[in-house]
Amino acid sequence: MTWEATEKRWEALEKIGAYAAGELDGEEAREAELLLMEDEDYPRLVESYTRMLVLLSVMGQESPEAPKSVVNNAIRRAYVAAFLRGAEDFVGGLGRSYAGAFVYYLGLRPKEA
Amino acid sequence: MGQSFNNEDIVHSASQGNARAFSELVREHSTLVYRVALRMLGDGGAQDASQEVWVRVWRSINNFRGDSAFSTWLYKITMNTCLNIREKELRRERWELREDLPYLPQLDGNFESNPEATTLSRERKDELLVALQQLRPEHRASLVLRHLEELSYREISEILEIPEGTAKVWASRGRAALLVILAGEADESNGDGR
Repeated sequence: MTWEATEKRWEALEKIGAYAAGELDGEEAREAELLLMEDEDYPRLVESYTRMLVLLSVMGQESPEAPKSVVNNAIRRAYVAAFLRGAEDFVGGLGRSYAGAFVYYLGLRPKEA
Repeated sequence: MGQSFNNEDIVHSASQGNARAFSELVREHSTLVYRVALRMLGDGGAQDASQEVWVRVWRSINNFRGDSAFSTWLYKITMNTCLNIREKELRRERWELREDLPYLPQLDGNFESNPEATTLSRERKDELLVALQQLRPEHRASLVLRHLEELSYREISEILEIPEGTAKVWASRGRAALLVILAGEADESNGDGR
């Protein structure tokens, strides 16, 4: 097949797919219906698409659970990160308090008006 | 879209560094993250990607402003993580479109009459997952969000940060390519591997 012929086939394939998926309306749907009459194999293509969409839809209804290790790992990481963040705040706060007390002890704090 | 669970308070607490609130978010949404990662990356990469998503969520949850639903924001992080992982891989060439049109044979069991009541066999699921992995990442992203997560194009455009028209084009190309791949596999398994 030439490049143009291949492109045309892909275009037809995509248009028929959109038609089978019910995504065309109005003028576009009519164009697709006219296209279906151009080739006697095209209606079979609609059937094939419909089958594939059924497969996808059934697969879409299944919702595999995430493995426990994924869930537990994500939770563990969050707890560790939260603990480290808390520890950092605590140490930072403690340091600030000591620095404040030291400044006060040395009498370096400016007098309040 | 997605969960109707109202997490505003939990999200707010988590953004303040509350690990317990964050744990609740992980438990509530871990299935969504894993499911999308599985469909984007397959069995091999889904677990690592999910871990990475939660690390990113914890790091950036204080940037979540609540302009969109939490699930939309989570979809966005999950998709970005999966696409980043994919970007590192080589781009695949476009599949060869043969002279004959891709044809998917009739499905087994009572699929066509009552798909809701049917479950996919392990083999069929693996086949679909493998076929999805062969799509270009952006086409796969749009296709997964549209046909597996059943989101609207408006939602997809928000998650992938692209115009709605682009989301439609990507889904459309993904659909066509997936059909070509699946039909090719069906031919091969029927001993018709031309």
